[in-house]
Parts: sequence; C-alpha cells; structure tokens
Amino acid sequence: MYSKLAFRNIRRSLRDYIIYFVTLTLTASLMYSFLALGFSPDILAMTENMSMLTSGILMLSVLVALLSSFIVGYAIRFMLSQRKKEFAAYELMGMEVKTVRNLFLVENSMIGGAAFLLGSLLGTGLSGLLNQVVQNIFEVTHHYQVLFSLRALGTTFFFFVLMYGFSMLRAAKVIRRQKVIELLYDNQKNEEVGYQPLYRSVLTGLLSLAAMVAGVILLEKALHIQTNEAMLYWSGACLLILAGVYELHRKVPVLLYQLAKRNPRRKYRGENLFFLGQIGRRIQSSGRTMAFVAILLTVSLATMFVGLTMGAGYKANMEAYYPYDAGVAIDAPLTKNSMDSVRSFVEERCEAEDSVTYYLYAVPNEAIEALALSDYNHLREILGLSPVSMSDNEFLIHCDTWNYMDGTRQRLEQQPEITLNGRTLTPAETPILTEPMEQYQMAGTKGYVLVLPDEVASRLSGEKIRLVMKLEDSGYPELKNELKQFLNSGKWQPDIQLGQGLPERVTMGVTVKAWGVANSLTGFTTLSFCGLYLSVIFIILSCSVLAFEQLSAIDRNQKNYAVIDRLGVSGHRQASLIRKELSTVFLIPLFFPIVLTVLLIVGTQFFFGDAILQEGLVLFYGLVTILLFCAIYLTYFGATMFLFRRVILRPEMR
Amino acid sequence: MTHGGKTTLLNCISTIDTVSTGHIYLDGTDVTEINEKQIARFRRKNLGFVFQDFNLLDTLTISENIALALTINKIPAGEIDGRVRELTGKLNITDILDKYPYQVSGGQKQRCACARAIINNPKLILADEPTGALDSHSSQMLLSTIQSINETMGATILMVTHDAFSASYANRIFFLQDGAIFMEILKGNDSRRTFFNKILDVLTMMGGGVNDVL
Repeated sequence: MYSKLAFRNIRRSLRDYIIYFVTLTLTASLMYSFLALGFSPDILAMTENMSMLTSGILMLSVLVALLSSFIVGYAIRFMLSQRKKEFAAYELMGMEVKTVRNLFLVENSMIGGAAFLLGSLLGTGLSGLLNQVVQNIFEVTHHYQVLFSLRALGTTFFFFVLMYGFSMLRAAKVIRRQKVIELLYDNQKNEEVGYQPLYRSVLTGLLSLAAMVAGVILLEKALHIQTNEAMLYWSGACLLILAGVYELHRKVPVLLYQLAKRNPRRKYRGENLFFLGQIGRRIQSSGRTMAFVAILLTVSLATMFVGLTMGAGYKANMEAYYPYDAGVAIDAPLTKNSMDSVRSFVEERCEAEDSVTYYLYAVPNEAIEALALSDYNHLREILGLSPVSMSDNEFLIHCDTWNYMDGTRQRLEQQPEITLNGRTLTPAETPILTEPMEQYQMAGTKGYVLVLPDEVASRLSGEKIRLVMKLEDSGYPELKNELKQFLNSGKWQPDIQLGQGLPERVTMGVTVKAWGVANSLTGFTTLSFCGLYLSVIFIILSCSVLAFEQLSAIDRNQKNYAVIDRLGVSGHRQASLIRKELSTVFLIPLFFPIVLTVLLIVGTQFFFGDAILQEGLVLFYGLVTILLFCAIYLTYFGATMFLFRRVILRPEMR
Repeated sequence: MTHGGKTTLLNCISTIDTVSTGHIYLDGTDVTEINEKQIARFRRKNLGFVFQDFNLLDTLTISENIALALTINKIPAGEIDGRVRELTGKLNITDILDKYPYQVSGGQKQRCACARAIINNPKLILADEPTGALDSHSSQMLLSTIQSINETMGATILMVTHDAFSASYANRIFFLQDGAIFMEILKGNDSRRTFFNKILDVLTMMGGGVNDVL
C-alpha cells in the first residue's frame, strides 16, 4: 500500500523531484565511474605507484559523500516544506505520524534507489571513457570497453547509503516531531526583511576585499618559498581568500540592492521595483547559502583548472623531455665507436628499430651547439618527422622551447649570416623549426641548436656525444637503471677522440621514455583526475543548491507574478523578468569565483608559463575549465528556468 | 449558495479568465477579442483590483506596493513618490508607508490594496470579497473608503460579496443564482439602512442563507 501511494506521490511531485533526482544520479554516476577507474586492474597495472590514484579517489569520495549528505539534506528539507500541508492532511484524516513518516521514507528510498541504479549504469559507461582517457595519457593502445567493478559498486553503495541515510533520518525526525498546526501553517509564516546599515555593509565589503588581496599577496610569497614554511603561507592565503569570497558574497549583493533602492530613477524604471523586491528577498533569505555556493564554486574552478593544467602541462613537457625511447648523453669527446657497446647492451634487452650516434659540435665564439644535418634528419626520422633539406651554404635553428623563440628570431634578424671555418652561411628558407626534440640534453643543451651542412659540421669539434634509440614497444622503465649501472660499471670502455682530452667533470645522462611515463605521469594523472572528480561534483552540488533555492520559492513567486499580471504586465515581460531574476540568482555566487579563476589563470601563465613547454597551454586549459564549468552551470540554469517558467507562466497553474 | 458564478464573471470581466461564449464590452472595447499584449495594456489603463487576500507583495513596503502600479504604467519616476503620498494621505495610511505588509493590520493592508487599485485612476475597480478577511470595524472603514473613492474620484466599482452589509454600500446590486442574474435592485434615494433591508428581502426570496450579490 505504501509503495503504491508513494509511487503516486512521486509522479505527482515530479516537478519538485526532478532536479533532486538528476543531482543524485549524477553524483552516484561520477562516484562510481571514478571509483571504477581507481579500482581498474588495467589502470593499476600501468605503473608501480598507480595505487596513488585509488587512494586519492577514495579519500575524495569520503569528502564528496560528506558534502553530498548536506546537499541531500537540504533537498529533502525543501521537499518536506513543499509537502507539509499534504502530510498535515494525512494526519488530520487520522493517519498515524509513523505511517506518514514511513510513506515519506519509502518515497525517498524509491527515488534514491532509482538514482543509484541509473547512476551506476551511467557510471559504468563513463568509467570506460575515463579508462580510455588515462590510457591515452599513458600512450597505451586502447579501445573503449565497459568497466564493471563490483568493488566500485559496493563502495559507491556504501557512500551513497551514508550520505542518503543521514539525511533521511533527519527528515524522519522532523516529521515525527512537528505538530499538525506547524505542518499546516508553516508556509504562511512571514519572512522577516531587515538589512544592516549601509556603512556597515560597505565596511565589511572593504574588509573582505582586503582579506582577498592579502590572500593573493601571501599566495605570491608562497610561490617563492622552498621550505615547509610555504605550507603556512598557502593555508593562510586560501583561508583569507575563501573568507573574503564568503563575506563579499554576503555583502556586495546587499550593498548593490540598497544602493539601487536609494535611487528613485533606477528603482521606479519599468518593472525594476518588482525585480528588486524579488531579488531583495533572495539576498535576505538565501545570502548565506549563496555565499557558501560561491566558496564551493571557487574551490571547484580552482581545482579543475590546477588539475587539468598540471596534467596537460606535464604531458606537454614529457613529450619534450622524453621524445626518444632511450637516449644516452655524455658530455665528452668520445669516438662514435664508444657507443657501440652501449647500443648492444640495449639491443640485448629490447629489440631496436633504429638508432643514431651523433655529436653536438662546439661552435667557436658562440653560445650555441651544432648538429650535422644528416644526424638531425636521422633524429627527425626516429621521431616520425619528415626530413629537411638545405643547400651547402645554409643553416637553420631548431628551437622547441617557445620562450627562446622571440630571442632567436631577433638574433637572426640582427645577424643573418654566420661564418664558420671561412665559410659564410645564410638562413635556410625555413630558418627556425620547432618540433619537440628535447633540447636540454639530447638535441642541444641550451634549449636550441644550430643545424649545419655535414661538411661544415665535420670541421668543428664534436665535444659531446649522444646515442638515441627507437625501441620496439617503447622499452621498459627498469631499462634506465640498468643502462646507468652499465655505464658506471667497468664493462663499458669508452674511447677518446684523437688529440682530445677528457674534461674535468664528465656529465652523463640517461633518458628512457618508459621510465619517465611510469614514475612521473602517475602523480600528475592522479592530481588531474582527482581535481576533475572533485570539481565536477562540487559544481553539480552547487548548481543543485541554487536550483532548489529558486524552486523552493516557487509558490510565493507564483503569487507575486500573478499580482503583476493583474496589474497589467504582459506575459512577455513576465518571462523576461523571470529570466532576469533567475540569471541574477545564478550569477550572484559566480562573480568572485570567476574573477579569482581568471586571476589564477593569468597568475599561472605569468609565473609558470615559461616552465610549460607548450605555448598557450595554460590559457587553453583555463578556457577549457571555464567552458566545462559553463556547460554544467548552464544546464542546471536551463533546467531551473524551464521548471520555473512552466509553473509561473502557465495560467492554469496560478 | 456558493456557485452563483460571481467570481467567474469578475474574472471574465477583468480578462483573467476567458469566456466560452458571448462578449464583454468595456467602454466600447470587446475584451474577449483582444490579444495578450492588448490585454496587459487594457488592464494597466482601465482596471484596478482589490482581493479578499489583499495580494500585496511581501517583498515590497506598503509605499512600494502602491508605487508598483505606477511604475508598471510607466509614470515618470519623479512623480511617483508625490502621488503615493497624496493618495495615502487621503486613505489615512501615511504612517505605515515604510512598513512591510506583514507588519500592518488586515484593514491597513486592504487600504493599501485599494490605493494600489486606484492610483492609476482606472475606469473600473474590481473588488472580489474585499472585506472577507477583515473584522467588522475594518470592514466598515474599508467600505467607507471604497464609497468615498467612488464619490470623489468617479471610479466605477464592481464588487462581489456574500455579505448583505457590504452590499448595502453599493448603488446598484445584481443578485446571481446558478450563473444567471436573479434580480437587480437600485439604491436610488433610499437610506443605507432601507437599502440593507431591501437586500435582506431579496435574499429571503432567493432562499435565504449565504447568497451572491454583485
């Protein structure tokens, strides 16, 4: 009987339940998909320290469950308030309080159960996609496959019950304790409207702004501190910024509202008076909620941006740091034969597809090294790039570090010709090439290299020797240590070129792409995925709160819009007022999070832009963050607008 | 009897509801034939509303509730405060202008609603059970106010009520029964007491109890 009545009630209250249901489903879906990713044996097998991702996602899930339980509680309170009269009617008809409570619990259990099942189903599909993204980051051959994980399902269920159970118990307590009269007349209670004096709002606003500025200054200082003291600065900065965001979102809308009401021209223009009344009540009754949402959004946007940029930034840098499967760099004038045994050592362990041994030549009187064109083209071939050609009296510069690009161009303009060993060379048709070749160890040591015709290069002194190898299946992480041990053991006997001597200190470097991927990418993947997980859920929860805030006032709003309808405001103007009201409610908590995110993007570009080798990456991921955020935010905004307009503007619903 | 059709009639006249057959002419305009945009303009220019449950906006002060009707009618901002003060002075509610509706009594709320209804000098004021939520003292005060509005401002007031006492303030009464006009009586030169007795007689003729008068 309960279930039948509960089911009927759900259908009747579909309008109130829809946002709630969508939020629960999305939370369950994201939780399941990220947990499934964290538990995936394929992903865990990728690197030794991949369990870092599992731990991160599990820890964040606890946080997500905790926060979600507040939002679910909020949503349940909203629905309770919508249906108090109905419950009072049941009680007046003689239904026991226990029965009413059970009815509400059955209803919510049905919704929660359906949301969990649908969420898990969607999550299963989504986890397959996430799996592919991770495999793509690690450059592992991949294809889409549905990821079902019993462990992830069980963990999601546990967290779901945790966040849902507490809220349900609280709701049951409210129903049990409230008297019929309270249930009957609760929504007729007057809403108190009162504001602080203007000067106090201004003062608090200024103090909040000062706190935010102080936070940004601390943040800037923290960037220059290498000790543990930096943590103190970071915490202080975050605390000040978030406190500033909270208070500013409490005070600025009040301030603007009070100023608008003081100006008769603005107040009495068109339907502004009505609009100000609508917004004023929101600011008054939901000020704290909106400020809390502003904090959530600030954290979400910052987490998403930092996560995505760090992940992508590292990937971009890795392409440049490890373009070759294996490489050995020795800053000594050795003969090319010295590298034969090194190559044989690698070939014993991995099948080599290609290899090249070459010199970095010293250019007299210039702070640049040179490569012979044939060696350069061989490196390009290994990297899958097309070879370049130039005549015997030309040169080109390879520079894959964008921050040296302008300087290189200027230098070329100032000094278009170079003379080496009596031969004058001019720039090739394309004088600067920029593909990632790793120019701090392998293809140069300064971030750029001069490419010379073979004949010119051969007359220079080859002071640094390099070996680059292309391996089948890209090698394996342990190869790096094995190679190092071999080079440092007595088994390797290098020959020095005739007439040359060893420098005082010989720098030796070994680079293995598989090792780089295994030991560094994991941390960054973990950071970016955890950041994405947390931020998307935070955004969804924030949007839900805003949607509920608006929908909870729908009955009062319905009455208010009916009044202006009778006063002669056309349906078209009412629709425009609804749009304006909802946009303002959704925009108020967005202002400072967006400003801070833009500042964060600009700051990151300023401080770290040079360190990331792909130009424009920070700005690109800043844009991705804002677009992704807008997509989620606008979806919720659209859904709320649809429901709100549907109820307010349909005459039969008035 | 509670299904005489008075509120439906009022809603149709006020363009809130639509008629299934027939036409309603107000000052030469057929209000059943005008489009949504024209309806809104028609309401702004010609109609004023007073409801049993006041229909004031809790989000605005008493003064702002009255000013709202002016702003919607696009009256210049500079004139609004003056007009509100002038009218509220006549209705004796100047001391509550900065209060919110929940801070004032039912009678004061209804006088505020009256002020909002008449501030644009409408041709027709529609009052749906305006005394329904008021005590007898407040009802008498409100009815006197409505009467003086009619006399001093020359506005036509169409009031629906169940209450014979409220109806006795009118000059012309239509009695509705089962959706049709049962009888019409005019006050003429009668005193209010005589007119009240006439109303009671008609109600007795109609079957007593609660009746609809317009």
